[in-house]
Amino acid sequence: MPDGGTMVIEKKSGIYLCEGCGIADAIDVDALEALATGDLKTPHCKRHAAYCSAEGVAEIAADVKNGDVNQVLIAACSPRVMTDRFNFPGAQIIRANMREQVIWSHPPGEEDTNMLAADQLRIAVAQAGQFSPPEPHAEAEVAGALLLVVGGGVTGLTAALEAAHTGAEVILVEKTDTLGGWTRKWSRLLPERPPYRDPQPNDIADLIAAVEGDKAITVMTNTLVTSTAGGPGAFDVTLTQNGKNQSQSVGAIVVATGWRPYDPSLLEGLGYGASPDVVSDIEFEEILSSGEMKRKSNGDALNTVAFIISGDSDRMPYSSGLSDRIVIKQALQLLEAVPEAMIYVMHEDLRAHGMAEEFYRQAQEAGIIFQNGVVKSVGADLTITLEDRLIGEDVPMSGFDMVVLSTGMVPNSTNVDLEPAAKGADQLVDDVNPLAALLAAAKAGDGEEKAEEAPAPDTSEEADQDGANGEAAMPGGPILNLQYRQGPHLPVLANGYADSHFICFPYETRRTGIYTCGPVRRAMSVAEARQDAQGAVLKAFQAMRAADKAVSVHPRVGDLSYPEFGLDICTKCRRCTVECPFGAIDEMEDGYPVLNPTRCRRCGTCMGACPVRTINFKNYNISMITDMIKAVDVPDEFAEKPRILVFACENDAYPALDMAGINRHQLTPYVRILPVRCLGSVSATWVSTALESGYDGIMLLGCKSGDDYQCHFVKGSAIAQERMESVGATLESMMLEKERVRTEEVSIADSARVTALLNDYADEIKAIGYNPFKGF
Amino acid sequence: MTAALPETAENRYDLGFARWVRDNVEGGDKLSLCMQCGACSGSCPIGTQMDHGPRKIIAMIRAGMKDEVLSSNTLWNCTSCYRCTVRCPRGIPVTSIIQDLAAKAVEFGYADKKENALFAKSFWWSTSAFGRTDERLVTARYYFSLGFLEGIRRGLANLKIALGMVRTGRMHLGMPHKIKDIKGLTAILARAAEIEAEEANDEL
Repeated sequence: MPDGGTMVIEKKSGIYLCEGCGIADAIDVDALEALATGDLKTPHCKRHAAYCSAEGVAEIAADVKNGDVNQVLIAACSPRVMTDRFNFPGAQIIRANMREQVIWSHPPGEEDTNMLAADQLRIAVAQAGQFSPPEPHAEAEVAGALLLVVGGGVTGLTAALEAAHTGAEVILVEKTDTLGGWTRKWSRLLPERPPYRDPQPNDIADLIAAVEGDKAITVMTNTLVTSTAGGPGAFDVTLTQNGKNQSQSVGAIVVATGWRPYDPSLLEGLGYGASPDVVSDIEFEEILSSGEMKRKSNGDALNTVAFIISGDSDRMPYSSGLSDRIVIKQALQLLEAVPEAMIYVMHEDLRAHGMAEEFYRQAQEAGIIFQNGVVKSVGADLTITLEDRLIGEDVPMSGFDMVVLSTGMVPNSTNVDLEPAAKGADQLVDDVNPLAALLAAAKAGDGEEKAEEAPAPDTSEEADQDGANGEAAMPGGPILNLQYRQGPHLPVLANGYADSHFICFPYETRRTGIYTCGPVRRAMSVAEARQDAQGAVLKAFQAMRAADKAVSVHPRVGDLSYPEFGLDICTKCRRCTVECPFGAIDEMEDGYPVLNPTRCRRCGTCMGACPVRTINFKNYNISMITDMIKAVDVPDEFAEKPRILVFACENDAYPALDMAGINRHQLTPYVRILPVRCLGSVSATWVSTALESGYDGIMLLGCKSGDDYQCHFVKGSAIAQERMESVGATLESMMLEKERVRTEEVSIADSARVTALLNDYADEIKAIGYNPFKGF
Repeated sequence: MTAALPETAENRYDLGFARWVRDNVEGGDKLSLCMQCGACSGSCPIGTQMDHGPRKIIAMIRAGMKDEVLSSNTLWNCTSCYRCTVRCPRGIPVTSIIQDLAAKAVEFGYADKKENALFAKSFWWSTSAFGRTDERLVTARYYFSLGFLEGIRRGLANLKIALGMVRTGRMHLGMPHKIKDIKGLTAILARAAEIEAEEANDEL
């Protein structure tokens, strides 16, 4: 039980048994009332036909107002619904899920169903016993709405302008001496408005002028961010302009460092360098801008030109649908300048998504020929050998005046102009792979071995490719140089994209209050980058506002609780500081952990990590779940009713179980489900408590882990799996079957699968037999 | 007159041919619209009798396979049923391309010894001379264009059928039937030739 040293208010619990939605028809509410007032010692127990009705809500509100109760235990529907109705300021709300996970997923009137309902009530009462209202952490200092935008390309410019329009002061930092980035070089842009058929004029100059004319934006060119400390609301950054340092406190940071072109000479066999007339798309853009449509070798006119799209990811890891749209744009521009030109586009798959289909069709109607096949080689005489799958033979095509190679955008998630940070390389590697932090943790204390394992910073592309496996570092130094225990870099995804999860949680990095947008996140066009900038700015505003109120950002939006460390028994094992998915916990000089509360996302991974159980939240802690586990009435083995404990992640698994009830999938009566914030917060002690309490099996239901993870806290489920593997070994040493503890990954849409999973597991546990510790 | 065919280098592939088709063949400017879906080949009732289906012919034009396209029997076995043209999702006049390629094949000597081409010539001779096809004369002209002895041989081989048709009134004896206004037809064809020549000159 955490002791925050705050005023202790006497707990006055009231149990409210709802009879609506068929609950009273399916289970014995009289028995529940007798249990509440009897064994559970809660004399204040009421019943109502529908507590969500105006009458029912008024009844509870009156009890709270009169001071009769300050803990409201509602045994009704899932805690995920009716949250707006069951919201009584001044009282803590505890919900027992009697509808979705009892009456809707179990047969009415049966003994097993009534036992389950009784256990749900016992669990809620146990939870209430260890539940204190969270209070805001005191340390938060807030800098106000000052936003730092890193990168002065089209993304950064848009972000700065959007933020200024939304009411923030902005500092826009650019590495070079001019604003506009790569976009300044483009002759024309991809179409972004109906009818999506023609390249449109480049209006970057207007955007630059708007930013330079905005009084709320301070533009700093020739500037690098050389140090970033603190957290959301009050990042302490050092900006270095022409060798001069300037300290600044900012509320949030938007990273829009963009991209750099893929090196075309790495495109094996495509002839780059063999002839001056083999050019990259970037170089061809210069030709288009100059208006001189001539061969580089001898100045002849461009009459027959081939564009090569190498969609083969082995050859070209950064090729994307964007590359294909750029080829279409350039081909159309060339045709406009040289109407008689014969233009071929050699492609494997043409990825013209969405409205780009119109653009593709425009190119075909204009006469550009799209030839499907794999380019095997490009000779010095510009002969392209195409493995034409539609003719079924290798076709040597000659007579081209120029060959244009489509390249791709490599994200600038590091600053390639800088030397790799001395401390950074290995720690960046650790963060490339969500599991790596665990490996590092396993090796902690063995400094020598760790140093050996840190790979030498490699030449760019090789390292980029390896990044997908999380084995090698990105080249270059850090962009923000974070003064975090987990290193100076922003963690990256496969291929070096700086992000957290580009579909589920766009813009979010694994460092709270720092948001990425534009091509540093994924390859995108100018129009897409502009939209992206808007999204990241809104995220930054959310972070600043949340810091202001001392509450959490996504996914536990508005959560006031935060982990509290009982340093008196802390062994300085550093697991919490290493495993925190968001780098929220630093180490003090004496080795004790110290929380940066505004960085914290409240997942509880530190709580699950702590071997001495001294990290706890006011409303979510080790003792609370322990009591909830023990609250369940586990029958002895002669009753022939096994008990299976399920820790269900509240983000996907628990909603999937609710959905199973809504769909009326029937669940085995033997499971007891406890929601957890993240599998990462599951402490190994809970597993041993459960086994000691006589449960026959334990299942952890969490989100997908790995490279394409869906864990809402990035690596919580991966960490849980790692921990449970070692639990499995312990079980075997105790002569228990390791099948008694299992981890499964489910998605929110898995309502049918999750039911089958639990029902099958119940059968398996029955086959294995009862827990020998039962009854001891 | 059509613009001269590009000189093919030693290899079978010449991009100049694709450009030539684009500029000189009816419907050739629609070549780039083809997305190689194969609806044309799938619809073709005599695709199995062709060296290459219409889809592949278009792919081969793009790859510059001049000799193989122009000497392919596809151009001659096409019955002009127009299913390919009707079904093409991209609105490519496949039949027109194939027919015009056949004409170009004749023009550039790719069809000198092709029976289909010889038959087509006989057919056209009768049609333009009488405004009708006279089975006797078309057949005779076609057989003898294969050579004198071959003409005799084929004529004899079909004699029994011919006599049977005369007996049942399916083939008449005497002068070939003509349409009423043969002068009008001749004028139309002369004007068409004039227009074609003008267009060819414009393109050059």
